Amino acid sequence: MLLRAFFITLLSSLLFASISVAGSDTSQKPVLTIYTYDAFAAEWGPAPLLKSGFEKQCDCTINFVAADSSIGALRKVQLEGTTTKADIVLGLDTSLVGQANALDLFAPHNVDVSALNVPNDWASDNFIPFDYGYLAMIYNKELLPDPPGSFTELAANPSDLKIVIQDPRSSTPGLGLVLWMQAAYGEKSADLWAEIAPSVITMTRGWSEAYALFLDGEADMVLSYTTSPAYHKIVESDDRFAAALFEEGQYTQIEVAGILQSSPNKQLAQDFLKYLISPEAQKIIPTTNWMYPVANIELPPKFAQLPIPQTKLLLDDEQVNESSSTWIAQMLAAFQ
Amino acid sequence: MKAPAHGLRKCSQLFNRRKIINQRLTRKFVGIFFALLVGGLMIAIFAVLIFSPQPANSNALTPDIAHLIRMSLIQAALSTAISLIVGIALAWSLNRLRFWGRSIIISLLATAIVAPGLVIALGLISVWGRAGWIADFADLFAFNWPGGIFGLFGIVLAHTVLNGAFAAHLLLARLSAIPAQKLKLAQSLVLAPWQRFAILDWPAISSALPSLASIIFLLTFTSFPIVLLLGGGPSNQTLEVAIYSAVRLDFDLKTAAMLALVQLGICVAIILPTLGSTQNFSNSGNTSSHHWPDRGIVKFIQIAILIIAIFGFTSPLLAVLQKGLGPEFFETITRPSFIKAAQNSLILGTISAAITLFVAIRIAMTMAITRSKIAKAVFVTPIFAYLVMPSVVLSLGFFIGSRNLGISNAVAAPMVLIIANVLLALPFVYAMIAPAIKSIHSRYDKQARALNLSGFKRWQLVERPLLGREIGLALALTFSFSLGDLGVISLFGTAEFSTLPWQMFRAMGAYRNNDAATIAAIMLLISMAVFLILPSLFNRSVKIAEN
Repeated sequence: MLLRAFFITLLSSLLFASISVAGSDTSQKPVLTIYTYDAFAAEWGPAPLLKSGFEKQCDCTINFVAADSSIGALRKVQLEGTTTKADIVLGLDTSLVGQANALDLFAPHNVDVSALNVPNDWASDNFIPFDYGYLAMIYNKELLPDPPGSFTELAANPSDLKIVIQDPRSSTPGLGLVLWMQAAYGEKSADLWAEIAPSVITMTRGWSEAYALFLDGEADMVLSYTTSPAYHKIVESDDRFAAALFEEGQYTQIEVAGILQSSPNKQLAQDFLKYLISPEAQKIIPTTNWMYPVANIELPPKFAQLPIPQTKLLLDDEQVNESSSTWIAQMLAAFQ
Repeated sequence: MKAPAHGLRKCSQLFNRRKIINQRLTRKFVGIFFALLVGGLMIAIFAVLIFSPQPANSNALTPDIAHLIRMSLIQAALSTAISLIVGIALAWSLNRLRFWGRSIIISLLATAIVAPGLVIALGLISVWGRAGWIADFADLFAFNWPGGIFGLFGIVLAHTVLNGAFAAHLLLARLSAIPAQKLKLAQSLVLAPWQRFAILDWPAISSALPSLASIIFLLTFTSFPIVLLLGGGPSNQTLEVAIYSAVRLDFDLKTAAMLALVQLGICVAIILPTLGSTQNFSNSGNTSSHHWPDRGIVKFIQIAILIIAIFGFTSPLLAVLQKGLGPEFFETITRPSFIKAAQNSLILGTISAAITLFVAIRIAMTMAITRSKIAKAVFVTPIFAYLVMPSVVLSLGFFIGSRNLGISNAVAAPMVLIIANVLLALPFVYAMIAPAIKSIHSRYDKQARALNLSGFKRWQLVERPLLGREIGLALALTFSFSLGDLGVISLFGTAEFSTLPWQMFRAMGAYRNNDAATIAAIMLLISMAVFLILPSLFNRSVKIAEN
């Protein structure tokens, strides 16, 4: 019995040690804490490179704290209120900016972003954009030589063409699709949803599950980003995948970062945001986060070959915050 | 001269009785303490959310609760009924048949329920989907397999694979515990196969059915990733998705807590009658050595059931292995991040398994000597209620609660992780252990008391040897369960800490589906190994103890 108790204590202290390593830094350097989403902070994401890059020039320590998603990072700050350790929240996208602004948690960044190359010249006092992408239906060119070129073509397609999308209540691209349809069709989007519904095999909880179904051949198209084929081209040397550009245009998703009002390190935080949009940091983005950089830098060749949409749709942040619940409800009703 | 000796004897008798009463009280109160802890924690979690200062969201989504409840009920009832029928049929067949590889098949059966649901669901799609094995096979005969796995059919199929195999595994253990004397007696009476089922088998398995049915019902009622993955859209969704979106999309914690309470209320109302039911459980102990096969048409039916079930249950697992054991296997498993995650998972699994087993045994011992049905229901219901606790509610409750108590994230995260693992595995372990402990109590309590056995000594001599197989199974189950779904500590921000399931989800979220497949395959292999090794290890030590 005693032996067992000893064993358990030993193991739990091991576990404690391995979990708490993350937060322990005894040096006197200032610590900049950045809340972000898990994929950004992962070993193959941009965070490790950004951390070492900025620490070389700042005499500080960067502490990336990963939440399960960008919305999770925002919720964490909301729960912690003014006692939060976070200085920066990084990775919110334009569908959340309206809500984040309304919370009155973020401070103006005061960084000059006029030189940046951002779709539709999107700008905000509290948030700086650091990368962007366009939602798109991805398909396999060998299996689907003639993909639909618009939502109406998709709706008119024979029922054996199957697509997989994400649930707008649990997934960021899923919500983006609702906004996309709204931006393209406004009042008429509910009708179009009803016409598209038979082609949808399922609405998954997150992007991962949907993409896995697509790669397994269960769906002909999956909702993802125009930049997804770049991953397959560059990492897997696989040219089979492509994004179907729609006549209505593609919906734009811009990822942003903002400084919290409660941060005691505002100057340092501002320096980091300046670094984040510098060419040096922006070079990291395309092949780690698989999104377009906002600085005018040269793209990797295979990234540069990707088609750019003619029409870049984007709804107003405030409008999204006010009406997205209604639009989601309309979409779900069309599927019942 | 007579009187003082008599007085002395009386005195020592009294003393002994008091000692025994004391030990009986300890036996009772340790269990009650744990049961209250489990129940109290649940109340605390709800209180924390309902009284949180977060303002309600004015333009929140209003879910169609009636529809969601109706769909959840239909789906869960179907899934439970089919899982149980399949489980009974398979356990019956496996009990009668002997063949090479039988023990591997049996441990494979238990693996499904502990694997992440998503892994099994994807494995199922690789078999039944339009690009799956069956479709490939149908192609050979120029037949077009539609692969219509999405919808209610897909959900029930996935739930049957996950839970039916687990049911079969548990019920088989009950059947093989039927004492050899009983079998020999019945054999000498030449019982027909159906009489044998009704007289010997049914009493052995029926005692395990209520808690098994409750567990399966609760699991399927709240199943979330599987329902979304295979459900084919909003018309088949469950209440869980509304709770998730209330937190994630609207950040309306009160509504989320209320919806979770509705879910809890419905489930408790449904399972409550099964928890209070007295179980006439009569067999425990080790596999009986006596084998009595059926013959003729019955044997043919059993073989048919076995073949279908083996295909149905093992094909999704084999699909996961086939995908995962590809050329990148060694590259993936030699990566430092993988090794670290595997270490964490193994440590986490070991700690959680030990604690869960300890708590389950203590509560089960108390319940074995509790006569009041109401008291039983009060203590046991919370244990099962954690099965319907939405993980977002659990994780928010722990996060806000530990902040209110002023515990730092780094300290709270490992504790919360272990507590959550224990709470989620406890219902399974309890359902496995409790009937056995109850039967041991009713058979040996008087003798143990007559021999003045109590405390640890009694445990060593009475319960421990008789519980051998159950302990092995329970440890294997909790261990595999607790390889570490980190969802519950996602708010604590511990990016450096990773476990195998977490590495898998990470890889899937970054286009690295081959890595994810490898990790899924390794988790399956670990679970299989544990289910193969642990129960036989404990059974063997029991046999040594007996000799």
